[in-house]
Amino acid sequence: MSDDAAAPIRVVVVDDHPVWRDGVRSDLERSGIAVVVGEAADGGEAVDVTLAEMPDVVLMDLRMPTVPGVEAIARIAESAPHVRVLVLSASGEEADVLEAVKVGASGYLLKSSTSQEIADAVARVHAGEPVFTAPLAGLVLSEFRRVSAGARPAGEPGLTERENEVLRLVAKGYTYREIGERLFISEKTAQNHVRNILTKLQLHKRYELMRYAIQKGLDRAPD
Amino acid sequence: MATPDAVRMAEPGRRGLFVGILAYRWATLAWMTALALISRDRLARGGLALVVLALVIVWNAAFTMRKGWERPSWRWVDLGLSVALLPFAGYVMEEGGAAGGVPFFATSYPATSALTIGAGGTPATGLAAGLALSIGLVASRPVNGIGLDELDSAQWANLVNGIVYFVAAGGAAGVVSRSLARTAAERDRAVEEAARERERAARLAERDAIGREIHDSVLQSLAVVAKQGRELASRETVAPEQIRDLLEVAVEQEHALRDLLSHPPEEVPPGAVSLRTALSAAAFGVRDVPVTVSTTSGAWMPAGEVDEVVAAVRQALENAARHAHSSRGTIFAEALDGAVVVSIRDDGVGFEFDEARLAREGKLGLLRSMRGRAEALGGSMDVRTAPGHGTEIEFRFPRDGSGVDV
Repeated sequence: MSDDAAAPIRVVVVDDHPVWRDGVRSDLERSGIAVVVGEAADGGEAVDVTLAEMPDVVLMDLRMPTVPGVEAIARIAESAPHVRVLVLSASGEEADVLEAVKVGASGYLLKSSTSQEIADAVARVHAGEPVFTAPLAGLVLSEFRRVSAGARPAGEPGLTERENEVLRLVAKGYTYREIGERLFISEKTAQNHVRNILTKLQLHKRYELMRYAIQKGLDRAPD
Repeated sequence: MATPDAVRMAEPGRRGLFVGILAYRWATLAWMTALALISRDRLARGGLALVVLALVIVWNAAFTMRKGWERPSWRWVDLGLSVALLPFAGYVMEEGGAAGGVPFFATSYPATSALTIGAGGTPATGLAAGLALSIGLVASRPVNGIGLDELDSAQWANLVNGIVYFVAAGGAAGVVSRSLARTAAERDRAVEEAARERERAARLAERDAIGREIHDSVLQSLAVVAKQGRELASRETVAPEQIRDLLEVAVEQEHALRDLLSHPPEEVPPGAVSLRTALSAAAFGVRDVPVTVSTTSGAWMPAGEVDEVVAAVRQALENAARHAHSSRGTIFAEALDGAVVVSIRDDGVGFEFDEARLAREGKLGLLRSMRGRAEALGGSMDVRTAPGHGTEIEFRFPRDGSGVDV
């Protein structure tokens, strides 16, 4: 469901630095593709503003006081699953980003990106395209290798040969278009592979939680 | 002095010594049994001799199966038994036999007790065991009614021979055992020392790599923040995005520094350096284009090789920054079976990869140098590029784990 130019993308900006929020707001509004309908300085506020405004995209920082970004993303994914979350974070926070993606973020962008790149990423995430960076791809690869090295219970999905190939190219800095050219597939197919990888990652998280619950006996209904 | 027996027993050389003594023990026991059976008729108390012999065999079976030589208490009980056997041997023999004229079936077997104690202890305990046996040997004469003053010179020589034999056996086993233990301790120390040295070299290499890159970059960024901050401060009004740019520089540096200085999340074996750390440091030094580094877990290289790897990667980055007109660079390192693959990619102009033509135009120098570094480590280099399609340089370094404790 792609919106036409007449209907700008409704965005909520979450960051604990007001200067940063102002900058992103003016960048996005200048680009003409988006309008900022709310701001929040903290994860708790972010959930409240998101549920009140029901934006198309939430632009989320991860390191914030009181309620961290990952927790806010998990709550948003649960209560407003159609709202897409784009993580905007500083470098060196990839481990947090991996968690964020596992609980439902659909993209990740470095704070050092240009205003044009941020605006593009908002549009892409809104269109359902996974926005991925090379470092995150490296982390995701490690995550899948870690999981497949251990005993994986039947039914928990691993990566296919092709998905592995695509992910390695993302880690090497190739764009979806370049990946498509190199593997003789369409850009859309390359994107689909990445989206499936993210879905599997989120499934892992769910399996993890399920295993934890079963271990602790939380799955049993109280007598 | 208490000896950490369990630790010393683990030493293969000493285990060999004990096995040798055990073989000797059984050989002499067999000899003793054969003698007793052959001369049974000439023994005064043949029946009793066989009963005691059977008990000694049972004790030796237990001693062998329970590895009695590894336990100090068993060793001393074994010695006590041997000491007691000496006067007993005289007791079962015919009148006057204890003086040593006839085959004396307890002689060679008791020496194994002194050997065992010497091997399990020190030369001093070995000598002590030999002396205890000697006392048993000497006592065997008066106990069986033969005064020492009644012995003739041949019988005296026989007695002294026995004493020298027991004492020398115990002492010698102690000396051999001590020198084996010392050799083992020296070897352990040397191995430990080498491991520590490797780890120290790895840490130094890592610190070096970080230190080299941090200095210039952080200082430069601070200078930029100070200069632009002053400029902004002197203006009447300042647009938020101008402050944001400045904030960005500071935050980027803060995170990059934190990332660089914090311990790498992945465990690397001692003697190895995390490629994430080493490559981040290398990327940190590139200022013209943003370079991101990503690695999978397990991407490390032995400390002795990581400098060459980083040098090759830095040349590739230099190439990307200077000639490619790229807007960004990506380094990706992953551990595959027995190798580490490092890829450096830029989104720049790319080029026609025609080695002959590049050589003619004198543009092959850098590529050759990079390939040389890779091949010096037994690795290889691949170039994938085309005009307008960026450049990817991929190094493959073999990693057999030598030089690190995996």
